[in-house]
Amino acid sequence: MKIGNIDVKVSIVAIAVFVVFTILLVAASVYSMDVRSQLIWLVPGLFMLLVIPMALNYMSRSQYAELKPIYEAEAKTVRVKLINENMVGKIVRVEGVVERVYFQFLNRPQYLVADRSGEISVKMFTSPDEDVKVNDVVEVLGQVIRRYIVTGDPVVNCVSIRKIKKE
Amino acid sequence: MPGEGPGSNTHKWLELAVPLLSFGGALVAILSFTQGLPLDFRYPALGCVLASFVLAYLAWIRPKKDIVALTTPIYSLIFFIVPTEYMSGIILQLLYATSLTILVVRLKYRFGRPGMALSGGKELAEPLRTYVEQTRDVWTGISPEAAHHATVAFVRFAEGEFGETAQRSGTAAGQPDDVGNTPCLTRAFMIVSEHATLMDQSLSRPATYRTFLPEDSGMLAKPLLPAQDDDGGFYTTLDNALLLLFSAAWNASGEDRPHLLTCQAFAQKLLIGK
Repeated sequence: MKIGNIDVKVSIVAIAVFVVFTILLVAASVYSMDVRSQLIWLVPGLFMLLVIPMALNYMSRSQYAELKPIYEAEAKTVRVKLINENMVGKIVRVEGVVERVYFQFLNRPQYLVADRSGEISVKMFTSPDEDVKVNDVVEVLGQVIRRYIVTGDPVVNCVSIRKIKKE
Repeated sequence: MPGEGPGSNTHKWLELAVPLLSFGGALVAILSFTQGLPLDFRYPALGCVLASFVLAYLAWIRPKKDIVALTTPIYSLIFFIVPTEYMSGIILQLLYATSLTILVVRLKYRFGRPGMALSGGKELAEPLRTYVEQTRDVWTGISPEAAHHATVAFVRFAEGEFGETAQRSGTAAGQPDDVGNTPCLTRAFMIVSEHATLMDQSLSRPATYRTFLPEDSGMLAKPLLPAQDDDGGFYTTLDNALLLLFSAAWNASGEDRPHLLTCQAFAQKLLIGK
């Protein structure tokens, strides 16, 4: 669903929760008069299960869209090997091949991106513009952070990941 | 090789201690149950609690942290601090011990070797130490200023401050008198300056670029392989230049060593990486 320029995506988990609670509500309202009398609150509440994730996705994606040009201007292109803990906070551009994709179903995808010098985790806290799959050659824009904020190996907090043509 | 020092035996014992402690505790619980001995369930459960702490320690000393293993002590306390019925307590212990054993195997094979905070150490770890010691005698003639320039150039490069690295390396390369009888240090400064300039402007590899001379080969950490393509040669040259700066800085500027130690993990990565 598109709101303005932002393509809002709801995760499959949010949809599944909505479907499960819809079934429960329908079943409960068939058997219980008490539930039927509360439908005026329950139905909007049910839709909030979809609206809230959509609103959050819209807000995060619009924020990322605003950040993208800033990152494009500031980012330094680096090889994966050069990313280290001393670079925490730096904005980088990495080009590589996607080796693994995790948690895409949660709209919080995490990619393992590799170039000839090594591999690095790329975490994204919203859904990406493009559907990125394993073996896609991508350009990542993001900030170097620690995996667990204060500790852990350096990873890239991704603001933009886009497919680029293979040379 | 890192992780194969004297400490690695201790780590192996600690890895073994996780299943031994957790299943040992469960075994004590089973024996006391079958023998009809009155024993509070929480005493044998201490085995699982201790095993969780050992697992968390093993996770903590790895550069790549496993948050699941790190949080097991919390779960062990939640599971075993509350008194429970004896039989279900034994089943809980057995399941928990199995989980810890799976986690320690996962930790061993998916989270790398133990390597306690390289950047926080007070000494150089292998194989960087060997390289720095091998090249120590070369740096006797360089001035403290040149060594300090090398420190700043290396540290700034590690921090991703490529503009400042280029500027500092360029300045150092323009003062050949400071490097004594080691012109290869000047070449290292020039190479780092060239690469840092390209990276600062996000430019790709030029058709021609600065390299070391054949007579420098004995001092380089990573040999240029004949089979290497242009990209490989270009980036290996940078690795060698940065490692030369690190060695020069370490050996000729004792005061700068704390700064170099904060970048040790990066230097190790340059040395052992592709």
